[in-house]
Amino acid sequence: MIHILPRTNINFIGRRRYAFLVSAVLLAFGILAFVFIFLGKANLGIDFAGGTMIEGSFEKSITVGDIRDALSKIGYGDAEIKELRRDVPNSFMIRVKASEEEVTKVGEGILAQLEQDYSDNKFHKDSIDEVGPVVGKILQNQARTAVILAFLGILIYIWIRFDFRFGVAATVCTFHDVLVILGIFFILQKEISLLIVTALLTLAGYSLTDTVVVFDRIRENLRLFRKKGDFTSIINTSINEVLSRTVITSITTLSVVVTLFLVGGEVLHDFALALIFGVLIGTYSSVFVASPIIVEWEMKSPKRFK
Amino acid sequence: MRRTKRWVILLILVLVAVSFFYLLPSIKYWSLSDSEKQQLRIDDPQKLYGLEKRAIKLGLDLKGGMHVVLQVDKSRLNPEEQKDAVDRALEIIRNRVDQFGVTEPLIQKQGEDGIIVELPGLVDAERARDLIGKTAQLEYKLLPEPEIMNSLIKEIDEALAAAEPDSLAEVQKEEIQEPIEDLFATEEKDTMDDFLEELDEELPEEDRPFSSLLEASRSFYFYVPKEEMAKVDYLLNKPEARRVIPDDLEFAWATETELIQGMEYQKLYILKKRVEFSGKYLTDAKPRFDEFRKPYVHFTLTKRGGRRFAQLTGANIKKPLAIVLDGRVESTPTIQDKVRDEGRITMGGDATWEDAHDLSIVLRAGALPAPVKIAENRVIGPSLGQDSVRKGTLAAMIGLAAVLLFMFFYYRVSGLIADFALFFNLFFLLAAMAALHATLTMPGIAGIILIVGMSVDANVLIFERIREELRTGKTVRASIDAGYKRALLTIVDSHVTTLITALVLFQFGTGPIKGFAVSLSLGVVISLFTAVVITKSIFDMRKGYKTLSI
Repeated sequence: MIHILPRTNINFIGRRRYAFLVSAVLLAFGILAFVFIFLGKANLGIDFAGGTMIEGSFEKSITVGDIRDALSKIGYGDAEIKELRRDVPNSFMIRVKASEEEVTKVGEGILAQLEQDYSDNKFHKDSIDEVGPVVGKILQNQARTAVILAFLGILIYIWIRFDFRFGVAATVCTFHDVLVILGIFFILQKEISLLIVTALLTLAGYSLTDTVVVFDRIRENLRLFRKKGDFTSIINTSINEVLSRTVITSITTLSVVVTLFLVGGEVLHDFALALIFGVLIGTYSSVFVASPIIVEWEMKSPKRFK
Repeated sequence: MRRTKRWVILLILVLVAVSFFYLLPSIKYWSLSDSEKQQLRIDDPQKLYGLEKRAIKLGLDLKGGMHVVLQVDKSRLNPEEQKDAVDRALEIIRNRVDQFGVTEPLIQKQGEDGIIVELPGLVDAERARDLIGKTAQLEYKLLPEPEIMNSLIKEIDEALAAAEPDSLAEVQKEEIQEPIEDLFATEEKDTMDDFLEELDEELPEEDRPFSSLLEASRSFYFYVPKEEMAKVDYLLNKPEARRVIPDDLEFAWATETELIQGMEYQKLYILKKRVEFSGKYLTDAKPRFDEFRKPYVHFTLTKRGGRRFAQLTGANIKKPLAIVLDGRVESTPTIQDKVRDEGRITMGGDATWEDAHDLSIVLRAGALPAPVKIAENRVIGPSLGQDSVRKGTLAAMIGLAAVLLFMFFYYRVSGLIADFALFFNLFFLLAAMAALHATLTMPGIAGIILIVGMSVDANVLIFERIREELRTGKTVRASIDAGYKRALLTIVDSHVTTLITALVLFQFGTGPIKGFAVSLSLGVVISLFTAVVITKSIFDMRKGYKTLSI
């Protein structure tokens, strides 16, 4: 038998105050990001904000500055321009958040300007994404509905599956994870796109799974050791017992999302990044957030398990 | 125990057979090279079509293509017309796309007034967009007498000159284009030309805010430099100008710009507002070449339409007739003779055969009940799609290899059994996607990759439990049974949590995200079978366990 972890007896619960501090800081950023998104001031992708994104390649080498010079002539000097790592050299992504009622105008203007300024170094477009303000609003609403429904579904599931205290702890833990990743993306100045919302919902499911595994073991042990042993150490033992599973599943999941991040291409880059953070945070929170909440609660009002 | 085992093995065999059946077309189709596909398209198109249809569909983001969302502008329709405007528009667009000849287009309603059009594969995006988005409102209008046009221009000049000076100053600041009359020196000069020259002599340009933007023309229209178009529109929309434009007259631009000595010009017409004849009387339209190899659209008319057309043309012989398409003047042929039953639409500028071809399609399919706006437009080049497929497949392979190796390294023979189950999971997953006609998208590939990492979780839970049971001193057999039994509830739990979010994403996600939800939820459900039932039956195959490699 190979063990990544020997039979552990780490006092996780004893270190819960440090964890609460870390979580509080991370959560603060998450809540800040949430407020910004709510106020419409966050870095929303063109799916939500509306705008135009063009990808393609130039025939010869060119700098981001050269492209920006051309674009500033038609008032898009603040466009996001990024060189892409593709097989085709001189590949670039140009993103403009201005959107007009007639969505094709911005893209046509940019392509015409590039054609005019670099007639000897032609730009070949691979893809173009043009989202108008109306569609942006629709997609925003869809994302909002999806987030609300997913959380409702999770709440109903938790409500059926657990009693009140475990339910609250699992819910807090899931919200914690989603907000923390949102906060990390906010700090990293990453764009909130449809794919990121998808990643967040997937992670909500993943993090809940981790929590459920720990909670199942806690309840099993509480039944077994009801008469002997104190509450805190039963919970600590439970976490330690499932720790190797938690770590191994994190390793297998991390190995695929890291692969996705490294070789999956530009489209899934941020999506994979969110998943990487999500797996790490989800693992952390099932140990350091969910269970300690149960412990704190029990200490404040010990009525259930004594 | 023995009986259930046999039953499970039979079920697995049946599932494998069914999966092969559903996956075979995909395997066959994907193993064809491009040239082989091309060959088959000629030799046996029916077979290729059959394969295409039964293979796992690739989403637009992998195959390339365009995704357009149109917004139907119902604001100018009465309540009665508003009711089915979107449905009628959808039918007409479907008709146009069908005639354009794209394989497997998707056209469907979105929400209240949206229409989604998806054209997979290689498409000429600009051309397709014109074809879909054109209202195709064909109207014939007469032109006013030249004297009326001339006096109107003068009146507008006067009205604007008398208006607030700020707008005038703005106009004057602009550099004034060099006149281009001399470009047409060889052309026969006539009314408009003379008229503008007359104006030139009469008044300095500062006092003619409007006509100073116009350039000479050959006949009954003006040339406006392309960059001045917005200003002309702006001036014509000023209340001072609108007051002097009679109710029965209107200004209209030409469809095409014209290139004259490196400068782009757009024609500006003055038309009578009254619609003399419209596209609703058309029965058919076809592209043709005239004697100068210039394309035009030939159309035939209904009986009633023929009578009206004969009346119109008969009464206006030797006069120009404006053919107006969606508010823009396509051309202004002079009526040579009384025409009945059929006619031609001469096309402006340097129209190509494709232009005539597309115009006849939209005329045949009919005009949209209301104008549409493109609210979303996504075009993915096929090379980008191929790039995504390659990178996605590579990531899946590496991720899969990493997980397989890890499981084997950590759990030895038991890990191999889990690996075996993982293979089955992917195999069933792809088969299910083919059977359900699901579409594989780039996020869908990400979903599959994620499943590779997540679905072994069930086995990890079981194996860790078995290890614990073994540590308590139980026999191997008892440990295996207890491990499966105890872990089952937790495994079901973990699958349900993933399914909840996946199903919500399926319900609300757009195309690519739906693909993610499909592969994730199918994979999760299938893994419950492969990671639990299949691995258990493998463990059960051996009867007398003394040791267990775990």
